[in-house]
Amino acid sequence: MQELLERRKGLKRKILIVDDEAIEREILGYMLSDLYEISFADNGRIALDIIKQEKLTLSLVILDLHMPELDGYSLLEILRADNELRRIPAIVLTSEKGAEVKSLQLGAADFITKPYDAPDVIRARVQRSIELAEDSIIIHETERDELTGLFNKEYFFEYGKRLDYQNQLPMDAIVLDINRFHIINELYGRNYGDSVLKKIGGYIHESIQDTGGLACRFESNGFCIYLPHSPDLNERLEKHIDKYKNILEKQNISIRIGVYSDDGSGLGMEQRFDRARLACQKLRNNYSTSYRVYNDELHSKELHSERLINDMDKALAEKQFVVFYQPKYNITGDIPRLTSAEALIRWFHPEFGMVSPGEFISLFEDNGLIRKLDKYVWNEAAAQIRLWKEKYGFCLPVSVNVSRVDIFDQMLGETLERIVTANGLSHENLLLEITESAYSDNSLKLIDTVNKLRARGFKIEMDDFGSGYSSLNMLTSLPIDALKLDMKFIRNMCSNRKNLSMVGIMIEIARLLEVPVIAEGVETQEQMEKLKDYGCDVIQGYYFSKPLPPADFEKLIEKELNETSY
Amino acid sequence: MNNEGFYVMLVKKVTADNKLSLLEQQVAQKDYDAAFETAHTLKGMYANLSLTPLSQPIGQMTELLRSRTDTDYSALLNEAKTQFTKLCSL
Repeated sequence: MQELLERRKGLKRKILIVDDEAIEREILGYMLSDLYEISFADNGRIALDIIKQEKLTLSLVILDLHMPELDGYSLLEILRADNELRRIPAIVLTSEKGAEVKSLQLGAADFITKPYDAPDVIRARVQRSIELAEDSIIIHETERDELTGLFNKEYFFEYGKRLDYQNQLPMDAIVLDINRFHIINELYGRNYGDSVLKKIGGYIHESIQDTGGLACRFESNGFCIYLPHSPDLNERLEKHIDKYKNILEKQNISIRIGVYSDDGSGLGMEQRFDRARLACQKLRNNYSTSYRVYNDELHSKELHSERLINDMDKALAEKQFVVFYQPKYNITGDIPRLTSAEALIRWFHPEFGMVSPGEFISLFEDNGLIRKLDKYVWNEAAAQIRLWKEKYGFCLPVSVNVSRVDIFDQMLGETLERIVTANGLSHENLLLEITESAYSDNSLKLIDTVNKLRARGFKIEMDDFGSGYSSLNMLTSLPIDALKLDMKFIRNMCSNRKNLSMVGIMIEIARLLEVPVIAEGVETQEQMEKLKDYGCDVIQGYYFSKPLPPADFEKLIEKELNETSY
Repeated sequence: MNNEGFYVMLVKKVTADNKLSLLEQQVAQKDYDAAFETAHTLKGMYANLSLTPLSQPIGQMTELLRSRTDTDYSALLNEAKTQFTKLCSL
């Protein structure tokens, strides 16, 4: 391909003229030397040597059939038999009728009869033969991945679909990815990574020869194989896995293989690979070479997730999402005082019933839909605060979640500002909870965003503290207004000494940072009292109340109002 | 062909060529295989240069030699030789 490009740059193409008769060589040379760079050979053997030497740059061979040492036919046969040399087109010179057919059958690109036609005809034939040969090289190379020689993704699917259309056979789809390939490239260099790909590609190519089918290089770190269905696929995969382990394990490289085994449902090629890929992705965190076959369970989970995603917009419009509120109580005084609430989303799906946040939150975080949901919650919560303000005469602050995805929204500050203003609230009324891992993942961006929000007057609470990756030196510089201890620490604090100590330490950290501490997931009196001893400021949990719909929450407010009026 | 000088140069090469005498020898020795090859080559050469007075007799010889006919070629050979000499004297 390189050479082809060189030629296309406008350099003259090279032609070899082979004829034992000097005059013949001269005539042909004369006709073509304006347009081409010509070399000559006067016998077949010399010609073969020249062709082998110049194989990368030779565009055409013109050869006479009758020659000493190695005649034209024999030379043609030798050329065709060689993988590289056969790409060079050969035009045969002949004066006999019978020779034309034979030379074409032997693979000649064209023939020129003696006595010669007009030079223009000859030049045209030469040009045509060269063009045809070059086009076929381009097509061939466009189809292929340069490194491994396997198909590239586009042609793989193109040919695969054609195969399906013609044959309608049951087919298996295999997706193969190299684990953490980008790290391999970083640690050992690009060349090393390439050699790994070549090895794997080579093995795949070999195995395809046995089973039939197609293979391609898929993106930078993987391969796809499409092959006729075999009922003993699992056994074969075991053998392949062993082979891969042999090839790779010395180098600490592992691969994950996802498989879709034909089940008679007649899916399209791309769908088969979607499923194989799904199975493959489930193995992402494995550290050893392994495979996984797609099955219906995966399928129905996948379908369910699809449903949830599809239904989301309608659910928002129809208010299937309802905001519940869980109260937070200040326990620093003698009697716990209702101090704020956390807004938590619930989904009442017309078909599935109550869909728990565990099911849909991470799903929507992955695809960014969470942003719509978060905005919805912010608006609902703000509106609710206003309603309670009008009804009861005071502002109960409500905290809402701001997910990682929201952090990157340029308009975040403005959006929150607008919501607060529209509802006649001050910034501290709408508390913002950001999970700890968001801080450690994208520290600079996040800290910048948080600082801007605080500058507007918003208060930020760090959620799930203790479960993220904050480093000790980060802690002192974090811009936050409150710490919420992760539920996991609270859960076992009374039965586990270490957890108990951890809780104590975390509360100390909060004191260091001069911010209040909120403990989430408090369920028992014992936990509550210990937390109070340690100096925890606010408690949230089933001990006081589970999350409630607004109407029920109002009962809590009213209770609080009654009690405090004494 | 449209280059007179080139043509003349090639014709000169023809006159310097000795294949005609080689053909004569081969026919005399009844080595018809070799003679066929030589005649065939000569025919092509003369035809390419449109030297019809030469390519004609040689052409006929070629066809006869193709089937290895054992006959008297002297008439054709003489014709060719005469034309050849004429060419040399031009």
